[in-house]
Amino acid sequence: MLLFFENFFISLSAVFANKTRSILTALGIIIGVFSVTMMGTLISGLDKTFESSMSMLGRDILYISRYEWFGDMEWWEVRNRPRMRTEYVQKVKQRSKYALAVAPVMQRGASLSYGEKETRTEIFGTNEDYMKTITANIVEGRFFSQNEDRSGSRVTIIGFGIKEAFFGEKDPIGKYIKIDNEKFRVIGVLEKQGKFLGLFSTDKQAILPIGAYNRVFSKRGWMRLSVKIPEEKIEEGLDEIYSVMRHIRGLKPNQKNDFAINQTKAFEKNYNMLKIAIGGTGTFITLLSLIVGGIGVMNIMFVSVKERTREIGVRKAIGATKGMILGQFLMEAISICLIAGLLGLMISYVFSILLNQVFPSTLDMRLAGFSIFISILVGVISGIIPSYRAANLDPIDSLRYE
Amino acid sequence: MSLIALNNIYKIYNVGGEEVRALDGIDLKIDENEYLAIMGPSGSGKSTLMNMVGCLDTPSSGVYQFEGEMVQEMDDDQLASIRNRKIGFVFQTFNLLPKATAQQNVEIPLVYGNIRKAERIKMASKALEDVGLKDRMHHKPNELSGGQRQRVAIARALVNNPSIILADEPTGNLDSKSGHEIMGILNQLHQQGNTIILVTHEDDIAQNANRIIRLYDGKITEDLNTKKN
Repeated sequence: MLLFFENFFISLSAVFANKTRSILTALGIIIGVFSVTMMGTLISGLDKTFESSMSMLGRDILYISRYEWFGDMEWWEVRNRPRMRTEYVQKVKQRSKYALAVAPVMQRGASLSYGEKETRTEIFGTNEDYMKTITANIVEGRFFSQNEDRSGSRVTIIGFGIKEAFFGEKDPIGKYIKIDNEKFRVIGVLEKQGKFLGLFSTDKQAILPIGAYNRVFSKRGWMRLSVKIPEEKIEEGLDEIYSVMRHIRGLKPNQKNDFAINQTKAFEKNYNMLKIAIGGTGTFITLLSLIVGGIGVMNIMFVSVKERTREIGVRKAIGATKGMILGQFLMEAISICLIAGLLGLMISYVFSILLNQVFPSTLDMRLAGFSIFISILVGVISGIIPSYRAANLDPIDSLRYE
Repeated sequence: MSLIALNNIYKIYNVGGEEVRALDGIDLKIDENEYLAIMGPSGSGKSTLMNMVGCLDTPSSGVYQFEGEMVQEMDDDQLASIRNRKIGFVFQTFNLLPKATAQQNVEIPLVYGNIRKAERIKMASKALEDVGLKDRMHHKPNELSGGQRQRVAIARALVNNPSIILADEPTGNLDSKSGHEIMGILNQLHQQGNTIILVTHEDDIAQNANRIIRLYDGKITEDLNTKKN
């Protein structure tokens, strides 16, 4: 044990005596550790974003619209498909036995204002079933009723971000805001949710009854249906909704679907492919740089052994065993790799803090530990042959070595 | 019992298919507190003999007993241990580690002897004091003169209280004044009871010893007792 620490200090002093050389040698390992930890950080950040975004969507919801989320159809083909219609809501409800809730969703950009305050945002027109198809809850006030929808009441539920921007700590319920210069009464506030896939904020939105939406804005425009299915019946529900929709559209058996039913699964599939791509690239870069780094360390260790042949001879003459010499040089290789690993980790850490400003990323401690372990492993692998050679040098020849 | 007993020692190398007898049947006994000089022209086998005695090398045949232990039967680690505990080397070219201070250099044999740091510092300081380098302990070799470097090397050889000190041309790289100083230290060590083996080709250096053996072609040709008392 004592000798272990002695070797450690001897090797540290050897490494620090050749700072530039050691750092240059270890560059591959620095890059390797950096890329493996950044890859991990990126993937775990993506996972977090994805998980929270997917939970916003809900896994038990089918989204019926004209286009596939990740389809490869031509835009004109999609454009030629018939629109979704509000009548479908009733028809689906009547014909489907799995549908627990069916909500039409229309969406457009609009400008919201309250007094002097104004903001540009997305507004949604939907029905009373909408709350069943999303995961967010109402935190203040209430959602609108079927009657309010049918009668075209000008009421709205605002996102948490709008509430904060317009009303601050004050109670927004019962206040009137303007949506594209039309007055709407605020009856509810949605809970804070954050950004979807880190892209757009779901907290900046206003939800209107589709009745009022159609009257004030337009009946035409993009629409989707959100259909809630019991989670354990999602496969059967999907099949059923396909046939219900085909029936509504009056499609003959030989005709292709002129609508699409999307699921969060589509996101998952694409997301997993993205993850594999990132993971694969990261692993490839990591492996490559570790191999290059390892070869560099091995090379520098051979040089070091050669340069210090005489020292090895002296050490042997005054009583160092083979094991001690082996340990000394192995420890030196490990020290180089370990210092490189720590440097790489430090760079990763700084990067993850910077990245965290725009994207949820924290350096995973287990991954950090793993990368240190990898560094040590590279040190052992690349140091073992030069160290073995040093240990087996003949003391008499080494003492004579010039 | 002799400290060192070499019995019919051969060291045979095979150089390009030709047999070279570096040591050709050596019989030699060295007692405790002897001051022996090994002399001979280059190629006579004196370096081989010194390496043999210093347990850096093992004989091709013959029996070598060091304090009664059979050296020719030892493995590498046992040889290393004997070198560490029983033998102190002093080289012509000093062979100090350039990046370590005098004190750290002297500590190295103690490190391999698994001695704790505090104890090591004490022993190294004592050894350096004994060779008159008390005020140079924290200097690196390049900050020391040749004579001082050799004194550090002697301190390193001494620090483990070895049974013998093996000095291979200890004054070969020194001016005559420093050389005298070094020989003075070795003489003094001998008077304190140490066993010293000196390898040299200079007669006046060899005259410091009490016994001189001459080698030629791997054989001892002369074994001269020059005891002054």
